[in-house]
Amino acid sequence: MPTTRRAAVLGGNRIPFARQFGPYAEASNQDMLTAALEGLVARHGLAGERVGEVVAGAVIKHSRDFNLTREAVLGSSLAADTPAYDIQQACGTGLEATILVANKIALGQAESAIAGGVDSASDAPIVVPERLRRKLLRLNRAKTPAERAKAAAALRPTDLGIQVPAATEPRTGMSMGEHMAITAARWGVTREAQDELALASHQKLAAAYERGFFDDLLTPYLGQTRDQNLRPDTTLEKLGSLRTAFGTGPDATMTAGNSTPLSDGASTVLLGSEEWAAAHGLKPLAFFVDGETAAVDYLGGEEGLLMAPAYAVPRMLARQGLSLQDFDLYEIHEAFAATVLSTMAAWEDEEFCRERLGLDAPLGGIDRAKLNVTGSSLAAGHPFAATGGRIVATLAKLLHEKGSGARGLISICAAGGQGVVAILEAA
Amino acid sequence: MPRSDGYTSFVNSGVGKKVASALGLPQPVPLRRYAPGRPLVDGPVLVGGHADTPAVSALRDGLTAAGATLVDAVPDGPRLGGVVVDLTAAETPADLESLRATLAPALKRLGRCARVVVVGRDPERAGSVAQRAARRALEGITRSVGKELRAGATANLVLVADGHEASALGTVLFLLSARSAYVDGQVVRVGEREVHAAPVDAERPLAGKVAVVTGAARGIGADIARTLHRDGATVVCVDVPAAGASLAAVANEVGGTALQLDVTALDAGTRILEHATTRHGGLDVVVHNAGITRDKLLANTDAERWDSVLRVNLLSILQMNEALLAKSGLRDGGRVVLVSSIAGIAGNRGQSNYAASKAGVIGLVDGYAADRGLVRRGITVNAVAPGFIETEMTARIPLATREVGRRLNSLAQGGLPVDVAEAIAFYAADAQGAVSGNVIRVCGQSLLGA
Amino acid sequence: MAVETLSSVPATAPLLARAALTARGRRGSEVPERTLRVEDVRVDRARLAAYQRLTGYDVSDLLPQPYPWVLAFPVQTALMARPDFPVPLPGMVHLENRVTTHRALDAAQPLTLEVTAGALQPHRRGRTLDVRLEARVDDELVWECDSVYLSRGRGTEDASRGEAPPALPEGPVAGVWRLPEGLGREYAGVSGDVNPIHLHPLAARAMGFPRHIAHGMWTYARTLAALGRGSLGPSSSRVWFTKPVFLPSTVELVVQRSGRHVLAGLRSRKDPSTTHVVVTLDD
Repeated sequence: MPTTRRAAVLGGNRIPFARQFGPYAEASNQDMLTAALEGLVARHGLAGERVGEVVAGAVIKHSRDFNLTREAVLGSSLAADTPAYDIQQACGTGLEATILVANKIALGQAESAIAGGVDSASDAPIVVPERLRRKLLRLNRAKTPAERAKAAAALRPTDLGIQVPAATEPRTGMSMGEHMAITAARWGVTREAQDELALASHQKLAAAYERGFFDDLLTPYLGQTRDQNLRPDTTLEKLGSLRTAFGTGPDATMTAGNSTPLSDGASTVLLGSEEWAAAHGLKPLAFFVDGETAAVDYLGGEEGLLMAPAYAVPRMLARQGLSLQDFDLYEIHEAFAATVLSTMAAWEDEEFCRERLGLDAPLGGIDRAKLNVTGSSLAAGHPFAATGGRIVATLAKLLHEKGSGARGLISICAAGGQGVVAILEAA
Repeated sequence: MPRSDGYTSFVNSGVGKKVASALGLPQPVPLRRYAPGRPLVDGPVLVGGHADTPAVSALRDGLTAAGATLVDAVPDGPRLGGVVVDLTAAETPADLESLRATLAPALKRLGRCARVVVVGRDPERAGSVAQRAARRALEGITRSVGKELRAGATANLVLVADGHEASALGTVLFLLSARSAYVDGQVVRVGEREVHAAPVDAERPLAGKVAVVTGAARGIGADIARTLHRDGATVVCVDVPAAGASLAAVANEVGGTALQLDVTALDAGTRILEHATTRHGGLDVVVHNAGITRDKLLANTDAERWDSVLRVNLLSILQMNEALLAKSGLRDGGRVVLVSSIAGIAGNRGQSNYAASKAGVIGLVDGYAADRGLVRRGITVNAVAPGFIETEMTARIPLATREVGRRLNSLAQGGLPVDVAEAIAFYAADAQGAVSGNVIRVCGQSLLGA
Repeated sequence: MAVETLSSVPATAPLLARAALTARGRRGSEVPERTLRVEDVRVDRARLAAYQRLTGYDVSDLLPQPYPWVLAFPVQTALMARPDFPVPLPGMVHLENRVTTHRALDAAQPLTLEVTAGALQPHRRGRTLDVRLEARVDDELVWECDSVYLSRGRGTEDASRGEAPPALPEGPVAGVWRLPEGLGREYAGVSGDVNPIHLHPLAARAMGFPRHIAHGMWTYARTLAALGRGSLGPSSSRVWFTKPVFLPSTVELVVQRSGRHVLAGLRSRKDPSTTHVVVTLDD
């Protein structure tokens, strides 16, 4: 067995996140990931450098982008002999990529690595209906004129039409919002609580920009210098006036204001061994401590689609011998305000913790003053695979500001009933 | 491809030459500019004047080592690439004759973009009134020669300190070389510090140095970053976060690092220092280049316009230098280079705020250069004062004024950002350890403020 | 030299139409001394992105090296459509191009564009015309370009041939590009260069070509994009359009690097001895 060592988060870079069909409407995943890499390379002086590996991915991906990350590396100022590959675990992609490369560094298989993610809700691949696709493939396979004629004759005008991939669960046909609405009702999450969380997210993100917190985490792209979704001057009244978008009757509490918008953007994180960092004059911001993934069976309605982090976190805590209160900062991805509130409600619920998690006592509450202190996805936007990188870099810098030993928890829910969570510790 | 303004390319085209000459218009020539591998000068260098002084004997070897062919008389064959006239032994105005005797025949045999460098001594250190007059006279002569020279040639004066003549070698080489293309009619004082002539790669005089350039995303700043990198330095490129995309491009091009920050932030100096120290092991060169203009006649200038220019162009430097010049800041032998402006010397209509900041910068140079602590640590502080440089800052000048500004100098053309960058790189090198408290105008000997 | 400042970038199509309608009457050998200038030219991000995609660049804030040429194209057309311009615009052939970028061009910065036509020179197959384009950010010259065009007609046998392009390296092949039939129309859409010789076989035949051909400026941009980030920063490139690329067709990219100098080009897949485009890049 190889001995392990600590993998350090050395820095990050992302482009500002933009709303769907906004300023990045014409940019592809590869364009955005390349731009995010270029900024990371510039910030850390990596031009011409060979990095151990670059791992990133996109949730909505065109088939031509089979080698998305490698292509982005080739288009960047990194040395062309830097290897790269794609991964995908829905909205957990960015954090999963971080866990992957951190483990490789810990095992001595890599000295340095870049983890990242990108998504475009604007430049989505268009897919033809399944029936038409099969017929076209058959036509393409046809060898003789007779076969071709037969295949062509099978085409019907009614086959035409295009499909844009949506954030819909394939097995339930329900959107993520519809799934979340069920969970929110289950945990009795109120509209007011959701709007308050959304307001706090905008206010905290705006304050972070004001104090220059993102100066070394972000590089402008296509003229955009801040997250486009950020509304520094929003109010509870404004949020309260929005029509509900998901759920029915009294359970309709979710609006466009307390749900994340479809977004475009990319993020990257630089990790390395302490030796590599020292040799490159880079000071670790935080160390990667542990990571865990979980999945829930949401099909029978047993558990909510976005509740997997509620299971992943206690498993990781048990392994680390930590309690939920042993953290200085919490980053819980705001897929919806209700996601954060439901997850926290579950951890405080004795029955849930006993029956579902098999614990003697509830995990307990978390200090809201330590939660998403520079805002999260509700304000910044949520380009699916890019969110993990945004959170890892943000938390690493926040922990570094807190000082040595400070500990932070990351929790990200993902489609398919999955969750990816991790612990970072200030360097 | 040589870079020049439209007019310069026009008068150098066949038709343009005839037109310009017929109309008696100025005929600027494309200036010789530096690129690694080019010779120091194009043609032999005549060494004249007193010629047997400690100054000349100290310089001769260095010039030869730098590849110059030295001659003692005007040769019949090739045109002269440069003339170095030594007047360090001048005791009375009568001694100036040897300057005339050397220059008069030489000026007729100068090549294109040739160089005249007069070497003298500081009038303020003269032992007698007559000596002081003689020393002061050199400035008048040099400036007049600069105005008489044609075809891109320049004339400059170097004042050397008694017993430290060898310390002036770097300055003389700069003024002879193509690096000083747009430096004309200037006086450079070289102080009483021994420069340890460590063997350096002449093409990478800044090898191993860490330099910070503020305002590096665009314009002159980007050229400064590029020039310092070319000369071997590791460059930290600083600009405001909003310019981050361009900044990243510049940083990646020069293989340096990008640091997004606002120079007016209270912790800007600390953050720059911390970045340079942790990333690159320390800091040797600081180029305070970031600057803005908010032009308006003073009568119409409100407090905001006034304040923003002074804050960015002047106060931020003071503020950053608190950290950068502290004991834990710039390494011994460090270099601080400020960017003043001809507007700070001559003043400019509608630029009272800008001129205030740029004149203030000269005050900073005087103040810092006299600081004993800095002198002890071998830290030099100098400034460049760009004249008419073809760049963003000159853009807001109305076209007619702009055209006049561009021509009203001895070289009859505007300078390029790289000309400013070259002067900054000159200050930054180890060889200039004795050059401090200078403000070199990169103005082609502009008539403004002369 | 008279500098005329236009209030904005003109529309290309009416100018091309005017140039076509007035083509017959044009004669003489004196090119009027005139510079057309447009200030405050802003980059349309959507058009830029479409151009970047079609030419193989990343969609980013940096302008591809040939892009100011595209921005200046309507201005150049306006200059040539003037009644006193001696050479007919339709059928003019782009022979070569030299571009120097002095600094990375940020799409956020408005440009001042200037177009100046030089003198007519004798050529074996007619007369050549030099056109100079300059782009400034405020007053700073950030980009300059010299184009050489051929106006086909009675040639001068002993005309000086100009600098021949360097021979393309033998290989290995660095890329194989299949240029679709509709490439000219697509590029016309993003560049505004709607010269009929690029659009359709019939239109091209009317102009004396067997088929329609790819825009030279597309082949140039596509080749530079294939060479990496070098042409995005300060750099110089040169291109010779030696043989037209008929559409559709398949071309091979060959590249030879020596330090900071790159020699590249496109040759015919079918007949590798046919060189279409030669490009050099120094960064």
